[in-house]
Amino acid sequence: MAVITDYTRANRRNEWILGGVVGVVVVLVVVFVTILVTSGGGEAPATEPDADARRLTAGTCAAKLRQPAWVPETVMRADVACPEQISRKLGDSASPDRLGTWVVYDLHGPANEELLPGAAPGLWPDAEVASGAIHPATTITYVAYPGSDSLTEELGGDTLRIEWQDFPQGGGEARVTQVENNGYGPLRVEWTDEQGSYLLLTVRGRTPDGRSGASAEELLRMAGSLVGPG
Amino acid sequence: MVSARTWLQVGGGVVVAALITAAFLQGRVAEDAWTANDPVGECGTGTLGGDVGATAGGGVLAVQNVLSATHALEPATSTWDANTADAVRAFQAWTGLPANGCVNTNTWVTMRALVVPVCAPEYNCLGADQLLRGGPARGGRDAWFLDADCDWASWVQPGVAASPVGSQTAYEFSGGELAELGCEG
Repeated sequence: MAVITDYTRANRRNEWILGGVVGVVVVLVVVFVTILVTSGGGEAPATEPDADARRLTAGTCAAKLRQPAWVPETVMRADVACPEQISRKLGDSASPDRLGTWVVYDLHGPANEELLPGAAPGLWPDAEVASGAIHPATTITYVAYPGSDSLTEELGGDTLRIEWQDFPQGGGEARVTQVENNGYGPLRVEWTDEQGSYLLLTVRGRTPDGRSGASAEELLRMAGSLVGPG
Repeated sequence: MVSARTWLQVGGGVVVAALITAAFLQGRVAEDAWTANDPVGECGTGTLGGDVGATAGGGVLAVQNVLSATHALEPATSTWDANTADAVRAFQAWTGLPANGCVNTNTWVTMRALVVPVCAPEYNCLGADQLLRGGPARGGRDAWFLDADCDWASWVQPGVAASPVGSQTAYEFSGGELAELGCEG
């Protein structure tokens, strides 16, 4: 009986098997690492803006407060007024312990930029006055009252729309007060949590460059993104 | 027969009830001061030919104080003038109101919505305790108000106030002549 043994072919088959196994292992490792990175990266977009928003008040008294981790893309910078500063403006008549901390966010875009002529108002062109072309800067004001569990007094007026709305994320709800002047006017969002009470304020202004300020949805998203010190 | 002592007790009870009612009503007036304010400015003439809108006094000063923060209006004199009229019109146009120079209820409500307490809501801070901040975040303009038991008051910043208005003095919102706040802050 003749036995033909082809060692070359057998070796080649073993090499194919070994290569295949190594290839599968490599593929599995790559897939595993990719899944690991992807699952970890899923939180990255949420934490990155958080860090950005809190960076606006880094090094100020607001850094130790709960504050919005998310702000609209139009926010450029923020300025902080601490209770001690406010108390000094009032001649120290109010204890800083009872005063809120103010963070005022500047908004980008021509509708939000301040356009006040240097001349006295009596010399302002009528057409520009009537069109809304002469206006202050529109900002978003955030006020935190740590330790408080009350909202500010509810406003009254026929042109107000006041309703409670849920945050789009983060849980919770806020009292939304909109002045309804033909689709424009001040907008307030107020709420409390276990650490304090809070207020966000902007103006949906009418200007030739479009509507200024932020929407109720944006303010509610800011409210729902409140986090402690970063 | 009813004794004199009983009559005294009844009378005392009536007086106490009247005082409590008055205090409550005054509190309501203070709450509604902005929306209950009389019209100010160019609001036309009434049936008897007089101006409907006040042209001087605490209401005008409150408007000027608001506009000092929003539209950099200076000075605040408590007297209506061309500068105040145009600043009101610019404010109205910007906030979606008819730009007519008449500060009526809708304009008062709009101005009120811009004012924020500086003190935590459950505390009663003495003195100026309400702030309207206008302009950009840095270099913005502040207008101060005082929410007192009996009325709201304007508290005008130095550099903005001009005679007869004194700076950092509480002036009542109520119409009529300019008057310093007559109750506790």
